[in-house]
Amino acid sequence: MSDAVVFYTVTLIVYGVVDVIACLGLSQQFGVAGVTNFGFIIFQAAGAYTASVLSLPSDHANGGFQLYVGGLNLPFPLPWIGAAIVGGLVALPFVFLVGKRLRGDYVAIGLLVAAVMANLIVTNYRSFLNGAAGLSLVPSPLQSRLNPQSLRYQWGYAVVGILLALLTFWFCRRLTESPYGRALRAMRENDLVADSLGKNLRVLRAQMLVVGGAIAGLSGGVLVGFINLWAPSAWGYAETIVLFAAVIIGGAGNHLGAVLGAILVPLGFEEATRFVPAFGPPGLIPAFQWVAIGLLVVIFLRLRPQGILPERRRRLATPAAVSGLTTGDSLASLPLGRRPGPSHGRDRHDDVLEVRGVSREFGGVRAVDDVSFVLKEGHLTGLIGPNGAGKSTTLALLAGTVPVTGGRIVYRGQDITTMPAYQRARHGIIRTFQLASEFKRLTVLENLLSAVPDQPGESFMGAVAGRRHWRAAEKVHLADAAALLERFGLSAQSNAYAGELSGGQRRLVEIMRALMARPDLLLLDEPMAGVHPELAALIGEELLRLCSRGMTIVMVEHELSYMDRFCDPVIVMSEGRVLAEGAMTDLRRRPEVVEAYLVG
Amino acid sequence: MEIFLASFGFGLITAAVLAIAAVGFTLQFGVTDVLNLAFGAVMIAAAYVAYWLNQAGLDIWLGLLVASVAGAALSWLLNTVVYAPFQRRHASPIALVIVALGMTLIIEFGLQAIVGGTSVSYTMASGRTVQAGGLQLTVVQLVIMALAIAVMVCIHVLLTYTRLGKAMRATAANRPLARTCGIRSGRVINLTWLISGALCGCAGTVFAMNAGSFNATSADLFLILILAAVFLGGPGRAYGAMLGAIVIGLATEISAAYVTPSYKDVIAFLLLFVMLAWRPTGVLGAS
Amino acid sequence: MADLAPFTGPDAALGPTYLAACYAATQAINNAGGVLGHQLSCKQVDTRGDPADAVPATRQMFASTSNLALVIGVTSDEAASVVPIINANKTVVFAMTGQSEFDHTHFPYFYRLVPPDLEESYAMVVIARDKHYKRVALAFGNDIGSQTFVQPAISAIKNAGLQLVANETLDLSATTFRTEAEKIVSAHPDVIFTEALGSTEATFLSEVQSLNGGKFIPIIGTSATISPAWYKSVAAAVGASNLSQNFLADNLVVETSGPAYTPFKAAMDAIKSKVGNTGNFDTYLTSPGGVHLYDGINLSALGMVASKSTQPAVWKAAMEKIADGTPGATVVHSFAQGVAALKAGKKIRYVGPGGPTSFDSYHDSTGIFQINKYDAKGNVKVIGSITAQQLRSVS
Repeated sequence: MSDAVVFYTVTLIVYGVVDVIACLGLSQQFGVAGVTNFGFIIFQAAGAYTASVLSLPSDHANGGFQLYVGGLNLPFPLPWIGAAIVGGLVALPFVFLVGKRLRGDYVAIGLLVAAVMANLIVTNYRSFLNGAAGLSLVPSPLQSRLNPQSLRYQWGYAVVGILLALLTFWFCRRLTESPYGRALRAMRENDLVADSLGKNLRVLRAQMLVVGGAIAGLSGGVLVGFINLWAPSAWGYAETIVLFAAVIIGGAGNHLGAVLGAILVPLGFEEATRFVPAFGPPGLIPAFQWVAIGLLVVIFLRLRPQGILPERRRRLATPAAVSGLTTGDSLASLPLGRRPGPSHGRDRHDDVLEVRGVSREFGGVRAVDDVSFVLKEGHLTGLIGPNGAGKSTTLALLAGTVPVTGGRIVYRGQDITTMPAYQRARHGIIRTFQLASEFKRLTVLENLLSAVPDQPGESFMGAVAGRRHWRAAEKVHLADAAALLERFGLSAQSNAYAGELSGGQRRLVEIMRALMARPDLLLLDEPMAGVHPELAALIGEELLRLCSRGMTIVMVEHELSYMDRFCDPVIVMSEGRVLAEGAMTDLRRRPEVVEAYLVG
Repeated sequence: MEIFLASFGFGLITAAVLAIAAVGFTLQFGVTDVLNLAFGAVMIAAAYVAYWLNQAGLDIWLGLLVASVAGAALSWLLNTVVYAPFQRRHASPIALVIVALGMTLIIEFGLQAIVGGTSVSYTMASGRTVQAGGLQLTVVQLVIMALAIAVMVCIHVLLTYTRLGKAMRATAANRPLARTCGIRSGRVINLTWLISGALCGCAGTVFAMNAGSFNATSADLFLILILAAVFLGGPGRAYGAMLGAIVIGLATEISAAYVTPSYKDVIAFLLLFVMLAWRPTGVLGAS
Repeated sequence: MADLAPFTGPDAALGPTYLAACYAATQAINNAGGVLGHQLSCKQVDTRGDPADAVPATRQMFASTSNLALVIGVTSDEAASVVPIINANKTVVFAMTGQSEFDHTHFPYFYRLVPPDLEESYAMVVIARDKHYKRVALAFGNDIGSQTFVQPAISAIKNAGLQLVANETLDLSATTFRTEAEKIVSAHPDVIFTEALGSTEATFLSEVQSLNGGKFIPIIGTSATISPAWYKSVAAAVGASNLSQNFLADNLVVETSGPAYTPFKAAMDAIKSKVGNTGNFDTYLTSPGGVHLYDGINLSALGMVASKSTQPAVWKAAMEKIADGTPGATVVHSFAQGVAALKAGKKIRYVGPGGPTSFDSYHDSTGIFQINKYDAKGNVKVIGSITAQQLRSVS
C-alpha cells in the first residue's frame, strides 16, 4: 500500500468512527427510546465547536482573522470531554418539547426547525463562532509534541477513535440491556401506557436527549480534532437525514445495526460515489446520491422497517419459582399485594378513593358530567353502562391519563386531582386500557417486568452501575412473573413478543402486567373482553382473592354475569352521569337502570 | 414610519404567498393526518412546470393555472403511491414524517438532476410600481395579493357551504367518527389531496414569481415559514393558517426592518417553537 | 491534474469553471507533446463546498490518483481544511482562495495567483471613486467567500473619502430580500457593491430595481460576478440591457488580445464541446478561475520540463523562476513556446493571459486589476485598469 492509500484508509476509519459514534447516539435515542431527534446534528456541531474553542488559543492569537468566544487553549483530552459535556447540556433547552403532551411528529418538526435555526444564527452572528467562515486552524490533539501529518499519528488517532466507539457501544448496550432500557423500549412502544405504569416520560426522554447529545458532541469533538476546522456548511440539517437513514437501514433498536448502518450509509455510500466516473453535468451524481438516500429510506420503511439487523428478541430464562408456587396455586401466595400508598399505614382510610363532582369536556361535549362516588378498600367495584356512558373516560380521569375539567379526586386522604398519571401510578393507582395496549416488541416476560415498581436497575444511574447492581432484584421479579404466567397458562409464550399473541392472550398479559405493578387501586377496563369464559372466571376468582388481601379494584365490563358473580358494589353510568349504585341484585330491580342499559 | 409602511407592505406580499401555501398544507394535514414535509418540494416542482411552459411562450398566468393542476396531480400521486400504503399498514405518524422527508429528497434532487443547479426566472412584466403612502407595490404583487384573497374566499365557501367542505372539516375533527357517520373518508381524502395539491402548485408558482429567481432547492426555508404559519393557527385549521400567514409575513418583514434582516426568519422559527411548546393546538385551538 | 473544488452546494458553479481551464491547458500541453513524455488529464474532485466533506475527498484523491501532478481549485469553502493535507503530501496546489489566513502562513507547496480579498475590496472602491460615485451601499452574501470583502471595503470607502450609506448581509437561504433592498434603496446610494451567489443576487437585484421605481442602481461586483452562471441568473431576473448599462466588476488583469491571449483562446475554443451549456462560454475567457488556473498549469508544466523532473520539490523551484523571470530570460506566452525556447537552451519567463507573475515569500502573486462589464449579449468587456498606486491610495 502506498502512503496515500494508507492515509485515505485512516481517514475513512476516523470518519467511520465518527459516524458510528453518532449513529449509536441516534440509535439510543430513536431506536431504543423512540425519541425522534431531527435536530441531532446540532449536538454534533455543539461538540465540534466546543472542542474547537477549548483547544484554540484566544482569538487575538491568530492575527485576529477569526472571531470566537472562548479560546482557552486547553490540552488534550479536555476539549473532547468538554465536547461531550456541552453536547449534553445543549439538550436541556429542548426538554420542554419532549414532555408527553406533544405528538412525536410535532417534536420531530420542532427539533428539525431548531437545527435550521441554530445553523442560521451561527452563520449570521459572526462574533460568536466566526459565522459562515467557521473556525479553522483548530489544533490537533497533542500537536505540540507529535506531528499530526505523520502516519503514526494518524494511525494513533484511528485507534483512539475505535476505542471511543467501542466505549460508546459498551455504554449504550449497558443502558439498553437493563431494566432502564426496558422502560425506554416500553415508552417507545406505547408512551401513554408507560406513563400509566409510573414511567416519567419527561425525565426518560430528557435523559435520552442529554445522553444522545453527549454522544453526538463527542463525535463532533473527534471529527474536529482530525480535520482541524468546523463551519456551518458541515452541519446542514440534511446531515441528520443521512444519519437517520443509516439507523433505519442498519436496524433501529439494535446497536449493532446502527454500527452497520453507519458503515454502509454515511461512510460506504457517500464514499462509493467518489469512485463513480464523472458523467453528465456537474452536480448530477450528488443529486442522484440524495435521491438514492431518499429512496432507500422510503423503501426500507416500506419493505423492511426493522432494518438489516432487526432488534433482537431478549430471551430471559425463567428461574424456578422462588415463591414456591406451582400450577393451580392461588395468586394469594404471591407477593403481588398492594404496595403502601402515600399515607397508608399511618392513617388508615376505609375510603380508598373519593370522587367529588368530577367532569370532563371534549370540545363542548360532557363525556363525564359531575360524577361522584367512593371506593371502599378491599372491594371489587363494577362499572357498567351503555356505550358512550363515560366509563372509560372515568377510569382515565382516576388514573390521570386525562385531566379533569372540574371536580376533585381524593386518594387515601390526599387530593390528587392535578397529580400526573405516572405519579398516581407510583402511588399505587394502576389502570389497564380498553384497546390493546401491550408493548408489542417486548416479550411477554418483559411486558410483565416493565411494570415492577422501584427496580434498582430502572434508574439511569442504576443502569450505569451495571448488572451486578440489579441482578438480584431482577431474579426475584422474574420468578414472580414466571409464577404469574404459570398461573394463567401463558408460560409457553413467556419469550414471545406480546404483539404476536392472540387477542385474549394480550388481555391476560395486560392484567398480569398491571398486577406486577403491585397496585393498591387497580382500574381494569374490560379485562375479560375476548377472554375464554373459563379463563375469565379464573381471573375473577383471583381478583376477588386479591381484594380479600386489601387490594381495591374497579372493573368496567359489559358482560353482566361477571358483575353478578364478582362485583359489589356496581356503579351504573349513563350519558356521563352516575345513574345508580348498589348491589347488582338491587340494581336489576330498578327500572331506570334496566332501561338505560338495555336501550343504550 | 416610512420604513414601517414599506415593510408592512412587504409583509403583506409574503403573507399572501404564505397564506395560499399554509391553507393547502393545513387542510392536507388536518384531513389526511400526513405531515407532508414534501410540500415545499412539490411547490417547486409545480413552479418548474410553469417555467417550462413560460419558456415555450405561454403567459405565466396561464402557466400558474397549469401548475396548479400539476400540483394537484403530483400530490394525489404522492399520497396514492407512497403515503396511503403506509397509512393502510398503520405506520406511526413519525414513520410518515420520515417517509415525507425521504420524498422531499427524492423530488427535490430528482428535479435538480433534470434542471441543474442554476437559478431561473419567469419571463413576465412586473408592471409599474404603485405608491401609496409609504407602501410601494408592483402590479404583479397586487395581483398576487388579490389572488390570495380570492383563494381564501373560495376555501371559505368550500368549507362552509359545500357538502365536501363540511365532510372535510368533519374528517379533520375525527376520522373514525366521520366514517361511522357515513362520510366516505376515502373519497374525501382523495379530493383533499387534489385541492390542497392545487393550492400547493399555485403557491409554488406565486412563490417563484415573487422571488424573481428560483432553483430546485429554493423552498427549503419557505417550508419552515409554512409550518410556522400552520402551527400558529393550529394544525388542521384553515382560518388559523390564514391568520398565521399574516402574522408570520408581517412579523418577519417588520422585524427585518427594525432588528436586522439576517434574523428575520429566526423570528418565524421562534414563533413556531413557542407554539409547539406552549400551545401545539394553535392560538385558535382548544387547549 | 485534479480540480478539487465545489461541484455541488451554493458554490457549485466554481468547480466547472476551473475544470474548463484545466481541459484547455492540458489539451494544449498534450498537443505540444506533453510533459517529459507524459500526457496530462483532468480529474474532478467534489468537496461539496463543505470543509468536512473535503477532507476525505482530498485523501481519496491522493489514494486513487496515480501520477497526480498538480491540484487546482481549492476555494475559501475548503482551503483551510485541505491545504495542510495537500502540503503534507508534497503536492503543489494553485488555490483560488483570497482568505487572509494564507497571507502570512507558510505552506511550501501552496501557490496562489489570486489576490487577497482585501485588495479586491480596494479595487471596487477605486472603481467607484473613478466613476465619481459618492454614496456606497454594500450587499454581500452571508457565505465565507463573500463576507471577507465587507470589512476591507468599509475601511477603504472611508479612506477614499466616500460615504457608506448602507451595509446589508444577504442570507443565502432566505427567499426574499425586500427589506434589505428597501433599506438600500431608501439610503439613496450612487452605487451598490455586491457579491451573492446562487439565486440570491438575482432575487435581490430585481427587488432593488422594482423598489427603486424600476430604475436600476449602478452595481460594482467582485471578480466572482464575472462567471457564466452569475450572469445567466441575474440577466434573466433584471434584464440583460439593464445589466450591461449599470454593472461593473473588478477583475484581475486578463488579456483580451495579444500574444498570450491568442493561444489561450484557441485552447479554450478547442474544448468548448467538453464543457456543456452553462451559459455564455466566452465568459470563461475572462473569469479569474479560467485564466489564472490556465496559467498555473502552464507554469507547472514548464517547471517540470525545465527541471526535467516530476518531483514537486524539484520542479517548483524551476517553476518559480519561470514565473518571476530571471535577467535575460526570454518571455514566452504558451507552453509550446516555452518548450521550444527551453529546447533551444534559453532561460524563459512565462507571461500568460493573466499577466506577469511575481511570487512573494508566501507564494502569493498579486496581479493588477482591471475593470470589466458585460455587453448586452453577455460578453465580458474590459473597460479600464487599476494601478497598484491607486490601490494603495485607498488601503
